[in-house]
Amino acid sequence: MLIMASFQLTPGVFALFYHYALGQFSKAKASYLSLFFILGAEIITTCLYLSIYYLTCIFFFNNLHPETSILFWTIAGILIALGIISLFFYYRRGAGTQLFIPRKYADALDQSAKSVKTRSDAFMLGALSGTCELAFTLPLYVVTCVEIMRMGAEGFASNFLTVLYILTPVIPLFFIRWKYQSGLNLADIQKSRVHDKGFTRFILAFCYIIVAVLIICFRTIYQ
Amino acid sequence: MRDFDENEIIHNLKIDAHAVGIPEGAAETFIERTIKDAKKSLKNRSIITESDLHRAILKELKKYHADLAYVYENRDKII
Repeated sequence: MLIMASFQLTPGVFALFYHYALGQFSKAKASYLSLFFILGAEIITTCLYLSIYYLTCIFFFNNLHPETSILFWTIAGILIALGIISLFFYYRRGAGTQLFIPRKYADALDQSAKSVKTRSDAFMLGALSGTCELAFTLPLYVVTCVEIMRMGAEGFASNFLTVLYILTPVIPLFFIRWKYQSGLNLADIQKSRVHDKGFTRFILAFCYIIVAVLIICFRTIYQ
Repeated sequence: MRDFDENEIIHNLKIDAHAVGIPEGAAETFIERTIKDAKKSLKNRSIITESDLHRAILKELKKYHADLAYVYENRDKII
């Protein structure tokens, strides 16, 4: 959950989108549109999570036991790789918070954020920015779904964790929205993002590697 | 090689200025002055690159509003 809350692409696009919305519309309209961005990001997270959950169900119901199979060793490897990538390549070199995505896509997201006029534009931008982070989130979805399946899908704890997991990625968006509504602007938000850049990178790398180590340890004991 | 669209630069600066909370009248005044002074500082050059223009506008913006200058400076460094 900490990893999900540390990703910077959706919050970055959201900060830009809110900035442009404030520049073109009234504060009330910008705030209203921002809710649809958040809704888009939330819906895509839920859809992705449920898709992976469904696939995991197929694995379980066919007695393939993904938690002990080669799949999980592969995912542990991918998580270690993502930990290293987060540490060195999540942010590009230089000042600012330029992310790993190709510059062409970053420009396209910037242009899309600038041209948002309606609720559906905001919704689609939220959904799109959530999807662009899939390279980093997909292995986490798989790990979470498998662990929740093992806990028992009907239990209170597993359902509570599922809801919490789905809601976590949008918490930073509400936080940015609150910052804008309390009078801060993009310069203030970007300064704090630049300030926290090293910490974010460290947290991402640390959590990925911890999750990978835990997977390896539990699988070794389990087998 | 291409011509710079002055109106587009002014339009984008106005959006940024409004977003950082600068009143419309004040924003128009110093955006106008910024563009005028930036043009003046670049008039002796035969070729102007995009970063020359960016640097000249940034230098002028810093005189008027620190937050707007910061946003302009970091406009392509956020995502």
